[in-house]
Amino acid sequence: MKRVLLLSSLAVAGRAQQTAMDPAGAPARSIAHLGLFFLALLTAIYIVVITFALLPLMRRHRGIDQEPLEGNHRPSDATETRMAKRIGLATVATILILFGLITVSVSTSKATSGSPPRPDSLVVEITATQWWWSVRYANNDASRIVMAANEMHIPVGRPVMIRGTSTDVIHSFWVPNLQGKRDLIPSRTNIDWIQADRPGRYRGQCAEFCGLQHAHMALWVVAEPPDRFEEWYSRQLQPAADPADPVRQRGQQVFMDYACVLCHTIQGTQAAGQVGPDLTHLASRLTIAAGTLPNNKGNLAGWITDPQSIKPGNHMATVPIRPEDMQPLLEYLESLQ
Amino acid sequence: MYLRCLRNLHSYRLLSAGLCLLAFSACQREKRELRPSPTRLVVFSDAARQSDIQPGGRQSQPVVANPSHGSAYEISEGARLYDWYNCSGCHAGGGGGMGPPLIKTDWIYGGEPANIFDTIVKGRPNGMPAWGNRIPEYQVWQLVSYVRSLNNLEPTSATPARTDTIQQDTAGLRPRPTGVASSGVTK
Amino acid sequence: MHIKTAPGIAFGALSLGWLLFAQIQNQPDDGQWVMPAKNFASTRFSTLTQINTSNVKDLKLAWTFSTGLTRGHESAPLIVNDTMYIVTPWPNLLYALDLKQPGGTLKWTYSPSPSASSQGVACCDVVNRGGAYYKGRIYYNTLDMHTVAVDANTGKEVWKATLGDINRGETLTMAPLIVKGKVLVGNSGGEMGVRGWLAGLDAENGKLLWRAYATGPDKDVLIGPNFKPFYKQDQGSELGTKTWQGDQWKTGGGTGWSWISYDPELDLIYYGTANPGPWNPDQRPGDNKWTSTLFARRPDTGEAIWAYQTNPHDVHDYDDVNENILLDLTINGRLRKVLAHPDRNARMYIMDRATGELISAEPFAFENTTESVDLKTGELKLNPSKITGSKTVRDICPAAPGGKDWQPSAFSPKTGWIYLPHNNLCMEFQGTQANYIAGTPYLGAKVRMYPGPGGHRGEFSAWDPVKAKTVWSVKEMFPAWSGTVVTAGDVVFYGTMEGWFKALDARTGTLLWQFKTGSGIISQPVTYKGPDGKQYVAVLSGVGGWAGATVAGGLNAKKDGTAALGFGNAMADLPDHTTKGGMLYVFALP
Repeated sequence: MKRVLLLSSLAVAGRAQQTAMDPAGAPARSIAHLGLFFLALLTAIYIVVITFALLPLMRRHRGIDQEPLEGNHRPSDATETRMAKRIGLATVATILILFGLITVSVSTSKATSGSPPRPDSLVVEITATQWWWSVRYANNDASRIVMAANEMHIPVGRPVMIRGTSTDVIHSFWVPNLQGKRDLIPSRTNIDWIQADRPGRYRGQCAEFCGLQHAHMALWVVAEPPDRFEEWYSRQLQPAADPADPVRQRGQQVFMDYACVLCHTIQGTQAAGQVGPDLTHLASRLTIAAGTLPNNKGNLAGWITDPQSIKPGNHMATVPIRPEDMQPLLEYLESLQ
Repeated sequence: MYLRCLRNLHSYRLLSAGLCLLAFSACQREKRELRPSPTRLVVFSDAARQSDIQPGGRQSQPVVANPSHGSAYEISEGARLYDWYNCSGCHAGGGGGMGPPLIKTDWIYGGEPANIFDTIVKGRPNGMPAWGNRIPEYQVWQLVSYVRSLNNLEPTSATPARTDTIQQDTAGLRPRPTGVASSGVTK
Repeated sequence: MHIKTAPGIAFGALSLGWLLFAQIQNQPDDGQWVMPAKNFASTRFSTLTQINTSNVKDLKLAWTFSTGLTRGHESAPLIVNDTMYIVTPWPNLLYALDLKQPGGTLKWTYSPSPSASSQGVACCDVVNRGGAYYKGRIYYNTLDMHTVAVDANTGKEVWKATLGDINRGETLTMAPLIVKGKVLVGNSGGEMGVRGWLAGLDAENGKLLWRAYATGPDKDVLIGPNFKPFYKQDQGSELGTKTWQGDQWKTGGGTGWSWISYDPELDLIYYGTANPGPWNPDQRPGDNKWTSTLFARRPDTGEAIWAYQTNPHDVHDYDDVNENILLDLTINGRLRKVLAHPDRNARMYIMDRATGELISAEPFAFENTTESVDLKTGELKLNPSKITGSKTVRDICPAAPGGKDWQPSAFSPKTGWIYLPHNNLCMEFQGTQANYIAGTPYLGAKVRMYPGPGGHRGEFSAWDPVKAKTVWSVKEMFPAWSGTVVTAGDVVFYGTMEGWFKALDARTGTLLWQFKTGSGIISQPVTYKGPDGKQYVAVLSGVGGWAGATVAGGLNAKKDGTAALGFGNAMADLPDHTTKGGMLYVFALP
C-alpha cells in the first residue's frame, strides 16, 4: 500500500527526481563531478592494482621441478633492493593520491557550501520539525515575507541561500539534485546554498535520523522560470480569501471550532497557530504530510480522519470530527489556493 | 511464574522481582498506542469526584482510570502538548504564574487524574479556560499524566530524569542574592 | 551627603522649576489627589510642607483600612472633597472613606462584579492601578474589559462601557486619565497576543469616541497628514503593517497598559506602547511598529502627531509604557519643553515633547543590552551578543521587567531631580516556539531572572535630567516596585516589597523614617491635606503584581525558576519575607 502511495506521489510530481547523479545546479554539479572524478581515478587505480596482482599468475614459473621456494630460499640482494624501491614508490604514490583527493574534496566542499557566491540571492529559512519542514522566505520588507511548508519554489538560475535550523532534534536538509547534506541543529543556524539551472521538481529528504517518521519527512523543491516564480510568490503573499459559498463558510467555522485552530495558521482568519504547518495555501501544494501523500481531497480526508495510520507517531492530533462536519472542512481546505 | 509477573506489574516498587519483571515493566513503559481507540476519542467523559465522602460507603471501583498512567511515551507527549497548548504560558514549568503552580501538595480542585482531567476539559471559575471539545480526550489524559509526573505521581520508571529546558548556570560571574542592608546611600 | 551642584544651575533649576511647574500643571495644588500621577504632567509632586525633613521622623500611624483582598495592590488612593477613594485589585471594588469622620469611616462600596474568568488572562497578577476623579465622578477600569463611571457622592454607577473581550486575552489594569472630557483607556495583554490600543471615551456617557491601535493600517493607528515623526525610521505610510510578516500585526501586542500624560498648552497626550508579541523575536521579523513606541496624540481625536519607536523589533520584552514626566528644563542654555521617560531598556529618554527630538538617553541602571542611542538619527544600537531568538542567551541586563517597570517616578521642581524606584535584575532567555491560541499566553521564551551586579534586586535613585546622571542611589534587597511621591518639604516616600514604608531626604537620600506595614508595598503613595488641615501620607500595602507573584499567587518558584515568566527565579525568597494582605495605612504628625 505504501509503495503504491509513494509511486503515485512520484507520478503526481511529474518530472520528479531524487538523485545526486543528475545534478540540476552548480553546487550539486561540483559534487557530482567530484564523485565522477573519484570514481574514474579510483577505477583506474583499481585496474592497475588488480593488473599487478594478476601479473604473477600469468608469468610462467621457471623450473617447476627445481628446488621449492619454501624454506630457506632467499631472493638475491638485487631483487630485494628492486622490490623495496617499488613498494616505496607505490606507498608514496598512494599517499600523494590520497592527499590529492583530500584537497579536491575539501576545496569542492568549500566552494559549494556556505554563503552563495552572489549577493542577490534569495534567502530561504528552513526550520525542520518532527516531521515536516517550515519554509520562510526572508525579506527586508517584513510584509513581503512568505510562509510555506514542505514545498519551496525557487527561480531558475538564481542562487538561493538556505538558513536552516531545527526546533527539536537534529535533522538534515538534503535535496540530492541540488546540494549535499546540511545538518539542521536546534538553536543554531547553518547556512548553505542551492541553485537550479533548469526547471523541475526535486525531492528532498531528511538525511539525519530524527525519530519515528524520519523516512516520511520529505520536501519538494520546485524550480520555475523567474516570471512563474514571481507569480507563485505573489499568490503566496495573499491572505486566504473569505469563503464565498455556505458550505465553505461552514468549513471555515469547523476549522475554527475544532482543534485545527490550536496549531495551524490560515492568514486572513483568526487561526494563527504556529506549531503545525501554515495552511494558507494548502491546496496549492503538491503533497500533504511532508511528501507522504499526493495532495487531493481523498488523501486529505484520510489524513485528517486518521493521521496515525498514515504516519504513525506523528504530531498531528487525531481529532474526532463529526461526519457531517468533514465534507465542509474538506471543501474549505481545498479552496485554500 | 507468568501470573506472578503480571501481579508484580501492578506494584512497581517491587525491585526484587527479577529479570522477568524488569523486562515486563520496561515493555509497559515503552508501550505506544499511536492510534487511540475510538472510545478514547470521546471528547468528554464525566468523571471526577470533588469530595471524599461517597454516600452509601466507598465504592470499590475508581471513578475513571487514567489510560496514560505509567507510559513514558504518553508522558513525553503530554510534555510536548503542555508547551504547544500554552499550558506553560500560565503555569510555567510547574511553578505557576498567571495560573497556580502545578508542583504542589495541595490541589485547589483535586489532584486525582479524573480531577485534573475535569479541570482541563471544563475549566475552573477563577481563570482556567475550558479546553473541552478542542483537545481530543486522549491528549487530555497525556496532559494529566504529565502534570501528575511533575509531582512524582507517575512511576519514576516512566518519567525523564531531566528536562529539556535551560538549567540555571550558576558558574562564572553570576551574582547571587545576598542580604543587602535596607539603606545605604551610594554616590 | 549634599551633592555638589553648581549653585547657579541649582538656583536656576529651582526657580525656573517653580515657575514652569505652575505653568504646565494648570491645576493649583489644593491638597487633594484627583488622579494617580497627581497632575497632567505626572510629577507626583505635592506642595504640602507640613511634613518636612526635620519632623518626618515623628510621623505616626493615624488610621488603617483593610481592603479584605489578598492580591497585589498597585493603586493610588484618590482624595477629593474630604473623601478617599480606593480601587482594589480584582474584583475591582471601589471604597469611599469619609475623611471627616475619625478613622476614615466607610461611606459606601461599589462593586462592578467583573467576570471571575478574567483572572485567568491577566498576565501579571490581577492588579488595578487606580481611578481618576473628574466632575463629580470616579472613573476606573475593571479587569474584564469595562470602564465604569461612578457617582463620587452616592457610589451609584453612572455608566459602564464594554471595551473588549477577555476571550482574546485582553484585560484592563491601567488607571484612566481624563482630559477635556475624554476618558483615556488602554488595554493590557501584551503577553497574550493582544492587539494593543488606546481609546478615548466620552466622560459623559461612556461612548467610544476614538480608538487608536498600536499596529495595523494607518487608519487604525489614527495616523493622518499631521503625523510628523522626528526621525526617518518612523516616517512613512502604513508602517504598522509593512513592518510585520503577514497577519502578525493582528496578534502583535503594543498594548497601552500604563501611564498617560497631558500637556494642555500643546494639547498633546503622551504614552508608550508595550512589547510586541510573541517574546521570541525570530517569529516576528521586521521593526514591529508601533510596539514599544512613544506616541504624542491629540486627546480630542486620538490623531497621532509624532511617534518614536524606542525599541524597534524589541528582543527583550522592553515595553515602552513607563511614565512620561512633562518638564520645562534649561538644557545647554536653552529652555526646552521636554518629556522625561525612564524606559524599560534602562535609559532615561529626555525628548522635546513638541517634536519628538531626542535630547539625551543615558542609562539610569546597569544594562548591557544596548550600546548607544544616536541622538542625530534616533537609532538604538543593540549589543549583538545579547540579542535573543530561538536560542539561549545568558546574562541579559536588565531583565524583562526592565531597568524600571511600571512603578512611577516623581519629579521635584525644588531639587530639579527625578526620583526613580527601579530594578537591578538580569536574565537568561531561551527562545522556544510560540504558538498563538487566542486567550492564552503567546510567549515563546523560557526565562530565568536573577539579581544584577551587586546582588541587590532594587534601587531607589535621584536622577538629574539636565546632567543626565544619577545623583544618589539607595540599594534595596527586592525590586523597588512601588510608586513614589515627593513633597515641597523635601521628603520622598516609597515602599519596599518586604513592607517598609520609607521617607528619604530628597536631597541626600538619607533614610529619615520608616514603618513596617503588614505586607509588601507595590502601590503608589500619596499625600494630602485632611479636613483638619493636617498633612497626611497614605499608602496601600499588599504585595503582588508581577514581582510579587511568588507571594500573591502562591507560586512554587523554588522548584521552577521559570515561574511568573521567569520573575519567580529572582523572587523565590520573597515568601520568606512577607505575606499577602491588602491594607491602607495613613500617617500623620502627632
